[in-house]
Amino acid sequence: MSLMKAFVREAQFSGRDRSLLIWILVLLSLSSLSVWFGLAEVNDQKATIEDLIEADRQDRLAEASKLKDWGSAAYYSFHLTYDPPSKFAFAAMGQRDLQPWKHRIRMLALEGQIYERDADNPVLALVGRFDFAFLAAFIVPLVLIMLLYDLRVSERAGGRQDLLEATCGNASSLWRARAGVRTVAVFVSVITPLFIAGMITGSSLVSLLWAALIVFAHTALWAWLSYTIAAWRRPGTVILMSLLSIWLVMSVIFPASARALIDRVVPTPTGAEILLMQRETVNDAWDLPREETMTPFFDRHPDWIDYTPAEDGFEWPWYYAFQQVGDQRTEPITNAYREGRMRRERFAAAASLLSPPSLLERSLQTLAKTDFNAAMAYEARVRQFHAQLRDFYYPKFYRNEPFEKSGLDNLPVFQTGTSGE
Amino acid sequence: MRVLLLIAKSEWQYWIRSQVVIGGTLLFVALLVTTSVLTGLRIDAETHARSHQQSEAEETFLAQPDRHPHRMVHYGHYLFRAPAPLAIFDPGLDAVTGHSIFLEGHRQNSATFAASDASADLGGLSWLSPALIYQLFAPLLIILLGHASIVREREASTLIPLLAQGLAGHTLMFGKALAIFSFIILLLVPLIISGVAAISFGESPVTVMFLAGAYLSYLTIWGMLTLCLSALLRKRSEALALLAAVWLGITLVMPSLAVNVAERRVPLAGKIETDLTMLSDLRKLGDGHNAKDPAFAKLRENLLKQYGVERVEDLPVNFRGLVAVEAEQKLTKVLNDYAEARMEGESRQATLLAKHGWFTPALAIAFASRTLSGTDLEHYHRFLREAEALRFDFVQGLNRAHVDKLSYGDDINRNKDEASWRRARVNASTWEVLDRFNFEPDKPLSRLENTLQSVAILLVWLILLLLLMVWAGRRLQP
Repeated sequence: MSLMKAFVREAQFSGRDRSLLIWILVLLSLSSLSVWFGLAEVNDQKATIEDLIEADRQDRLAEASKLKDWGSAAYYSFHLTYDPPSKFAFAAMGQRDLQPWKHRIRMLALEGQIYERDADNPVLALVGRFDFAFLAAFIVPLVLIMLLYDLRVSERAGGRQDLLEATCGNASSLWRARAGVRTVAVFVSVITPLFIAGMITGSSLVSLLWAALIVFAHTALWAWLSYTIAAWRRPGTVILMSLLSIWLVMSVIFPASARALIDRVVPTPTGAEILLMQRETVNDAWDLPREETMTPFFDRHPDWIDYTPAEDGFEWPWYYAFQQVGDQRTEPITNAYREGRMRRERFAAAASLLSPPSLLERSLQTLAKTDFNAAMAYEARVRQFHAQLRDFYYPKFYRNEPFEKSGLDNLPVFQTGTSGE
Repeated sequence: MRVLLLIAKSEWQYWIRSQVVIGGTLLFVALLVTTSVLTGLRIDAETHARSHQQSEAEETFLAQPDRHPHRMVHYGHYLFRAPAPLAIFDPGLDAVTGHSIFLEGHRQNSATFAASDASADLGGLSWLSPALIYQLFAPLLIILLGHASIVREREASTLIPLLAQGLAGHTLMFGKALAIFSFIILLLVPLIISGVAAISFGESPVTVMFLAGAYLSYLTIWGMLTLCLSALLRKRSEALALLAAVWLGITLVMPSLAVNVAERRVPLAGKIETDLTMLSDLRKLGDGHNAKDPAFAKLRENLLKQYGVERVEDLPVNFRGLVAVEAEQKLTKVLNDYAEARMEGESRQATLLAKHGWFTPALAIAFASRTLSGTDLEHYHRFLREAEALRFDFVQGLNRAHVDKLSYGDDINRNKDEASWRRARVNASTWEVLDRFNFEPDKPLSRLENTLQSVAILLVWLILLLLLMVWAGRRLQP
């Protein structure tokens, strides 16, 4: 009860504390700016996707005259795949700024297509955008440090510490209440714009509450750290510099060393190896005896084993078979590349447990479905869709079905997954 | 002058006695040295890997057997972007741009496989480089050293006696400034060591000098800012808190906010989006694989007239090859128009971002540093342009061989039987049309030119702060 009373009293005092008010206003505007920019970016990406869907359809219509058989239909038809931003993506753009979230693919060897990067301006990606996750993870701790490091020092320097502690009876409750008021003020000013934006986009309440909870936990952690270190009977400079060093270690030095170490310890094949091998197999196939292509192909598709390729001359079934065999041959490297990335990601997840700012940023990205796993899930959907394309065309080739354009109406449609939320 | 040196010396003595200063400096130096070594090793390994991959790709291309030349157009070639020597100090865009590109006929592929695609992601500040340490954290160290320089004399009531003894306010200021400046020069030693290493890898000493000069100006800006606030504020804690807040704003908040602004003010369509528009333009050009495409009727007519024959079969040159040459040329023009438009858009965004250096010198130094190190957008674009030029050259070289070395008759009958399939080939020595590729940074002079705006920004900041310092020095009265 007395803590509550102390809290209310301190809150009233704080209302008259000019530097606190300025900091709160700054945080409130930064938070609003970050979500406003986030919302604008999400809207842009949605608009881009809508434009692309239409342009993609137009493009297929324009190519229609070239489609003379099932083989040419598969050759000339590109298909758009994309990963729409989730409703909460405005808070944390995460991997969407680095990993591709849209492709146009066709039924040729997938390995030659899936690594295309439709990336944003690298200069902007390097500096990094100011999104809510960045604010909450890196800026908020610094502001808390500024607000809390000199709680006692300033009163001590003013010669009031002993007097204050004597008059209010319970000394620690005074400082705790004062620190509590500042922490809550910081938290509220940061989280309010997020909730307003969340309501505008219709994000689920669960996501918002989770976000609020983890941001609160992170804020409380830094408040506790600042509060504890501020209790040292040392000059303010020492306290502030110690806190800044802790921030530096947790937000920069540790994550950067962990990244360097993980990248070194967990090797992945270079992407170039995948592409080179894929090219070699696909190109060599033109000169190889046809059964060298067809045998590995039939291993995967025993249904069509009755099919005998022509001795020479061009034919589509053989052409697509060696495209697929190109993918098959690169599978070991592709898998090693994917698994290497996933292992790096698992190590990064473990390492982030020791770096609260990284952990918070990554958790917000997970909520926003803009994390590494979301990018991998999208890649998996592209692969699945590509496999569906093959499943659609192969029977037509090998059963020699007569070509009808209307048959293309049954082409598989890319499914965007559940990230609409 | 003697007084200045005396003041600077006593400031140094004060620092050496302070545990915070010693601790902070040691922490900083340890961080800087570790990062320099790690970045150096990483870039060195990358350089070797990529130049190895480059020569391997060239050998593979040249080792291809006799083939139909158009097969080699589709077989294609790979280019790898070797990092600039100064990337050991400022890797710049290296981690976020693709380092390999596949070149083939009829297409411009994007550069794929950036380090950031596969790296363990630990958040916004985890790409640490020596350059970034200078940009973000050296100012913090300068604040730690300098924030108390004047204000502590005030707090300890030694300022008034000092001034009353006839010491001019600005002499005191410049004495302290001299101390900070000498400290900044020492801070630059690791940069110079990195620079010397880069020189041994082929960088020009002039660039390294300018790089050191740029960082000297940037850190001096922070030194002067720190001194001014120390002279203008009444309390040491106020000075430190305000400087820390300014640091937060200048190094962390404003550059990122500027990214958002640049992105909104210069919207840029993605590659797939522009590719779709481009495809509809390309459709008007005709398909270079199909010599009967009506788009090439004019070419056919001219040729028949020129050689005075009736049928393309009677031409002394291979008509299908000529169609391929003509188609590739027209197509490349369209591809280049779109590629240039895209690069121009990216440059406009970057320029707008660089202009925000007027608000935060952290951006100005970041741009100057990348440009001087040869790791900026300009260099990445040049890599893309050189790759395209090389692509066009070898594709057209192969198409020429298609025209001159392969008869039309053999060419159209290539699918008839095994023997004709074998006849429709050219000798493997033709693959020598491929140029060797070696990506090198711009000449020092053109890099210096490209830093003009950022350097101007830094100089204006320097001059303004110098004026502020003089004014703040005058205000120091007994």
